[in-house]
Amino acid sequence: MKKAVSVMVLVAVAALAILCFGSVASAGEEIKMVGVITKIEIAGKDAKTATATLKDNKTEQSVVITVEDDLTLDKFKDHRIVEGDEIRCKYEVIDGKNVSKLFRKTAGC
Amino acid sequence: MSKFRVTMTVLGLALAATTAWGAGVHPGKESIEKSGYKGPETCEECHPGSAKGFLDTVHWKHASKVTNVEGLNPKEEYGMKNRIYVMCNGNDIVNNLKEIPKSPVTGKSKFSGCNTCHPGNHLSDVGSTGAAAEAAVDCLVCHSTDYDFRQRKPFKNEKGEVVMGQDRSVKAALAIGKPTVKNCMVCHEAAGGGVIVKRGFTFTKETDAHAAKGLVCVDCHKAKNHKMPTGHDPNNWANDGVFVSCSDASCHGVKPHKDADLNRHCAKIACQTCHITRTGGAFAKDFTVWEQTPDKFYEPTTLKKEANETTPVYAWYNGTVKNAPHFIGPKGSKKDGKSKITPFKIFQGKAYYNKRTGELLSMDFAQPMSNGDTRAGVLSAAKTLGLKNPEKIAKEAVPGWQTIYFGSNHLVTKTKALYCANCHAPNGVLNFKDLGYTDKEILKLTSPELFMEKLAQKQKEDW
Ligand code: HEC
Ligand code: HEC
Ligand code: HEC
Ligand code: HEC
Ligand code: HEC
Ligand code: HEC
Repeated sequence: MKKAVSVMVLVAVAALAILCFGSVASAGEEIKMVGVITKIEIAGKDAKTATATLKDNKTEQSVVITVEDDLTLDKFKDHRIVEGDEIRCKYEVIDGKNVSKLFRKTAGC
Repeated sequence: MSKFRVTMTVLGLALAATTAWGAGVHPGKESIEKSGYKGPETCEECHPGSAKGFLDTVHWKHASKVTNVEGLNPKEEYGMKNRIYVMCNGNDIVNNLKEIPKSPVTGKSKFSGCNTCHPGNHLSDVGSTGAAAEAAVDCLVCHSTDYDFRQRKPFKNEKGEVVMGQDRSVKAALAIGKPTVKNCMVCHEAAGGGVIVKRGFTFTKETDAHAAKGLVCVDCHKAKNHKMPTGHDPNNWANDGVFVSCSDASCHGVKPHKDADLNRHCAKIACQTCHITRTGGAFAKDFTVWEQTPDKFYEPTTLKKEANETTPVYAWYNGTVKNAPHFIGPKGSKKDGKSKITPFKIFQGKAYYNKRTGELLSMDFAQPMSNGDTRAGVLSAAKTLGLKNPEKIAKEAVPGWQTIYFGSNHLVTKTKALYCANCHAPNGVLNFKDLGYTDKEILKLTSPELFMEKLAQKQKEDW
């Protein structure tokens, strides 16, 4: 019985540790938002990263998103995505940066 | 010209082209650099007839004769130009590109219309012919890797006509090549009202075995004279009369596996059933209720998922299509000897039906997009189509649902392909009963007897 309790405590401590660690690093936590692009900054044709500022439709606050995936970068470069477009975005906070996991225009034809 | 000389000329040209291509440069580049780009006529200097030929394709006409769908007039042409169904409740005719009425909230207007997915300039629109149409083709949207999409936007010209813009810069014309995935996805990605909405697939190395191998769309959709091969998706009606299939001899053939058990299944089961196990995109839309978006315009209420987030439905399919007001999808059965079990991306849409005839009505998007009034959209469409008593039709129109089966032909996987137990275990992906198997057959088809030995052997090898 004693042994069983101590094992359970151990498990609980471990679980708590994982939870705490998880929330501190906020790894895997995706934040969703829909907003309009107010600014795109990209350094030239060979850029491997860009930032887009989105004005959150719900909070009206500006959020700077870092974009690193090739498909979206290409859409910035050839202007398939431009300022004024409404975007559905999922991002993760990594090292203080809002790194995009999904960056889609809401409109279509 | 003698045969020999023809051969030599062709060889010479081919050689010249290959050397040029070897360096990745379009042989016409120098000439375009010198004389500029004036639209298709520039290309015609060396590729005579290509613009005229293009006018006779689905990509220009958004329609063709259709032979495999029930209830159609064999003399008429059908496609996105004129179809009425619930993925896009409008079409090029009723939802022609225009400036929508000003929003009562913001006083702003915007351009909207189905024919924005057309490589013309709208003055020469879907299905137009003649010299003006030839000159209007946007060759570069499919052939340039340096296209500036800020140019591809509708605007009003000095006469007040709505024009679809194009990038006709020399810069874009200097970057000519065979179409890349992007060139095709410009339109195909956002069909149906947003990214992946209609087709539910992305073509990336993560989501498709062929993309992972570096294949592009036109490696399979090999076009000659711009006739684009397609398949038999029950909701891709218009076709150029040329077709592509996984089991084409030039691709995989009918016996692609080393394992005879798998090859045997190909007689009754489409390749896609085992190799495309997932789908995505929109699964339901309501055209009778539009949601206001933050810019105060309205969009049809749409439920959607990412690529690979939904599972297909399975049905017997013999290549012919049932076309009824509340259902458009595959025909076929276990017994007809021609059908195969095939996966489909299922979609359901709500729209208005004609109270008197029970037929599905179509909708102009201009009015609902501006103020959410969907019956005004039905009225406008009924007028455009010349229906009798349009006001009465719109007022009495009855909301109802239509179920649509789309082909599911991309998102191919090898490593996650269905294997014996995925189907033959009692919790397998196929509903044998719905597919027409008898209880006795089902008992047999869901017994480990079928796969025990094989999977035990495989398990041993895997570990
Ligand atoms: C000065 C002549 C010239 C001009 C002008 C020209 N091309 Fe070409 N193009 C060629 C030659 C030569 C080839 C290689 C042989 C072939 O495939 O016909 C070629 C090849 C191509 C190919 C590749 C065919 C393949 O199978 O890979 C495409 C696509 C193409 N041209 C499109 C265009 C377009 C679009 C324009 C107008 C912007 C244009 N060309 C203007 C000479 C020209
Ligand atoms: C909807 C996209 C699209 C448009 C628009 C388009 N093309 Fe093409 N074109 C293709 C495809 C696909 C191929 C076949 C590529 C392959 O299989 O390698 C092709 C091939 C070609 C070729 C190679 C020879 C041939 O005919 O197969 C030439 C030349 C060409 N196109 C010129 C043009 C010109 C000129 C225009 C404008 C008048 C134009 N294209 C507009 C998609 C397009
Ligand atoms: C300018 C927009 C646009 C571009 C660019 C475009 N498509 Fe299409 N495509 C369409 C539309 C719209 C349809 C539907 C026509 C219909 O059903 O009436 C279509 C239909 C098709 C079809 C089925 C009908 C057929 O013609 O066989 C295939 C296959 C296809 N496209 C492949 C491609 C490929 C491959 C490319 C790139 C070379 C491409 N498309 C580029 C707009 C486009
Ligand atoms: C590995 C080969 C392959 C590649 C790569 C490929 N397709 Fe297809 N596609 C097919 C086949 C095969 C069909 C028809 C299958 C059938 O109906 O039996 C098809 C069907 C289609 C259709 C008709 C509607 C449908 O989904 O059935 C369209 C449109 C289309 N493809 C567009 C594209 C575009 C755009 C790309 C590039 C992003 C692409 N395809 C890449 C093989 C391919
Ligand atoms: C009953 C399910 C099933 C059907 C039907 C089926 N496949 Fe497969 N296929 C598989 C499985 C499972 C694998 C993976 C085998 C492996 O990993 O060794 C596979 C592997 C393959 C491979 C890779 C072969 C290799 O050696 O790497 C190709 C290509 C292929 N299939 C093409 C097709 C084509 C084309 C069709 C239709 C004519 C088809 N398959 C129909 C289940 C199926
Ligand atoms: C996509 C689902 C699917 C997969 C995967 C699959 N089967 Fe089948 N299998 C079927 C269906 C459906 C039938 C019945 C075909 C018919 O109507 O003739 C069948 C029939 C059979 C039969 C004949 C049963 C009879 O009527 O006597 C055998 C044996 C069999 N499968 C074994 C296998 C083995 C072994 C594997 C793995 C290599 C496998 N199946 C993978 C769906 C599947």
